[in-house]
Amino acid sequence: MTETILRIRNLRTYFFTRRGTVKAVDGIDFDLLKSKCLCLVGESGCGKTVTALSILGLIDSPPGRIVGGEIYYNNLNLLECPPDQLRRIRGKEIAMVFQDAQSALNPVFTIGNQIVEQVKLHLGATTREAKEKALSLLEEVGIPTPEKVANYYPHQLSGGMRQRAMIAMSLSCDPQILIADEPTTAVDVTVKAQILDIFNQLKNTRQMSLLFITHDLGIVSEIGDRILVMYGGRVAEAATVSGLLNNPKHPYTASLIRCLPDITQVKDRLETIPGTVPSLIDPPGGCLFHPRCDKALAICREETPPPFIVAEGHTVFCHLYSHLER
Amino acid sequence: MTNRLKNIKPIAQKVGDVKNSIFITVIALLGITLLLDIFVVEKIFNPLTYLYIVLGILFVRYGIPLLYTSRRLIQYYWQRASRNKLAVGGLAFILFLILLALIGPLFTADPTAVNFEEKNLPPPGFTLEESVYDLKTGQFITNRITGTTQHPLGTDDKGRDLLAMIISGARVSLQVGLFATGIAIALGTLIGVTAAYLGGKMDNVLMRFTDIMMTFPFFLLLVFIVFIFGPNLALIVIVIGLTGWTGTARLIRSETLSLRTREFIMASKALGASDGRIILSHLIPNVISLIIVIATLSIPGVILAEAALSFIGLGDPTVASWGMILKAGQQNLDTTWWVAVAPGIMLFLTVLAFNFLGDGLRDAFDPRSNV
Repeated sequence: MTETILRIRNLRTYFFTRRGTVKAVDGIDFDLLKSKCLCLVGESGCGKTVTALSILGLIDSPPGRIVGGEIYYNNLNLLECPPDQLRRIRGKEIAMVFQDAQSALNPVFTIGNQIVEQVKLHLGATTREAKEKALSLLEEVGIPTPEKVANYYPHQLSGGMRQRAMIAMSLSCDPQILIADEPTTAVDVTVKAQILDIFNQLKNTRQMSLLFITHDLGIVSEIGDRILVMYGGRVAEAATVSGLLNNPKHPYTASLIRCLPDITQVKDRLETIPGTVPSLIDPPGGCLFHPRCDKALAICREETPPPFIVAEGHTVFCHLYSHLER
Repeated sequence: MTNRLKNIKPIAQKVGDVKNSIFITVIALLGITLLLDIFVVEKIFNPLTYLYIVLGILFVRYGIPLLYTSRRLIQYYWQRASRNKLAVGGLAFILFLILLALIGPLFTADPTAVNFEEKNLPPPGFTLEESVYDLKTGQFITNRITGTTQHPLGTDDKGRDLLAMIISGARVSLQVGLFATGIAIALGTLIGVTAAYLGGKMDNVLMRFTDIMMTFPFFLLLVFIVFIFGPNLALIVIVIGLTGWTGTARLIRSETLSLRTREFIMASKALGASDGRIILSHLIPNVISLIIVIATLSIPGVILAEAALSFIGLGDPTVASWGMILKAGQQNLDTTWWVAVAPGIMLFLTVLAFNFLGDGLRDAFDPRSNV
């Protein structure tokens, strides 16, 4: 079996606001394996990004706080790490790519400059070494003229180029884990494919583990090995990508897949899931999805569903499967 | 795997970087000179010269590379600013003034040379009628004194050349303006950015401290300090600098508040930047345009403050600042009017030039204005 590089157990991140406690992430578990890609999927506000920021220890406090759980990077519990050590892990061991590279790059420095600074900071390289490294990184992410692009400011680049530059920057210290927070949302379809190629390549050539946050099931099928469907800060279903896409068990996952537009069929309206994402300040009791679920049982209103194993490596948090083994 | 973690280097080690080693060598040499100066030999340099040398080295080490890497930006802003003719005029005057202060004293007479033979000479083209009691005849006679080209601005009541005094006064005024503003801006920026970035309690503490400093009657404080420690230019500069940062801190803080929520700050945190690093290399470079504008607009205030202090007689008597000359001249405004007019005009023009330049820069840096 492949080595587990990141192990998360019962992670709970709450935000204590004036209007009440927001349970943004409420007890999720997952394992990220070496050189594999785990996709976090869910609607906006289901806690995907908060999960990522929790791993890096970047939850703004106040109002946010990680109230419980364990995050193990190799054998190191990141939640018990002193801030200084955690800071050195960020970027060097675990790096993150943001959704909008336009705003995630510092507007007043050139691309090359930003990467060079990053390399110098973490690897203690000299300026010349760092420059060479920056150019080779830019080349690795498929930028055709690295020398030229390195001298550009972020606003002078196209969206796709910027996203590549952002990826190059996050790779600058050869991290073990790359967290990508919807890195393809802000770019168009053709560029999206190229960016996904880059990620696939990185996974294979660098033996890097990817934690890929997206709401696009199409992307998941392209890049993912395992998938974790989140709903309201909890895990709804966890499975291998093919297992989940071919055979979704949770009603929520099934509706998500139904919502995908199918290019081969002409439809008047696209499918939607009725209702809205539940308020996390005042969540419904029992299963969070029950108000929108067409298969809801009486028990769904009362009890939070425990995990049921429907197949090898396929867990689902739904009372419909209560006849199965936990 | 834990081995990997242990190998993380704390901070980038830049040993081997040629530029840095030269820099360190020069600073070390300067330190040795300073120690020699204090303990072994008498004066090699005077204290102010050390300040100049240090500033010069810092400029060569950090300023020139920065100007070089951002040359395109500078070009762009120059293009925008140069459409404002008043600002260009202001800049030209300031550059002229700097040149005057730097190399002017090499060409003029000694500003402290007293010569009673040539006292109260008006500028060339003007005449002064003076009633003098003639000892020989025992009568009042009218002396007509005409100006000579040797003293283009005339002389004062002790026969000192006014042009030389104005030029050495320019040096004083610029020194006061630049150094005091430098101290104030550095303090204000650091406090403002830190308060905004750290937020919460730290923000509260720093900003309430700023409020307290703001309510301090700074001119009174200055008068007090001069009264206690005696008039000394360096002291005046430091006091103006240490009290004048409050407005800057507030402006910079409000600008930083919007910056700190931007994603690139989060991104650099996610890539392992420390708080100090984010403040120094991400936040401050993003407010640099504001800093430049504030600095330019606060220099005239500082120059005027020093002039005012000199005017009420609390300036450093060993340096001929414009305020000093003004004070000396205003007592005989009815006869030797040029003594007060010359520094007055210089002060007026200097303040105006800095204000024009500041306004022009503000417009150039403001992305919403389409100058």
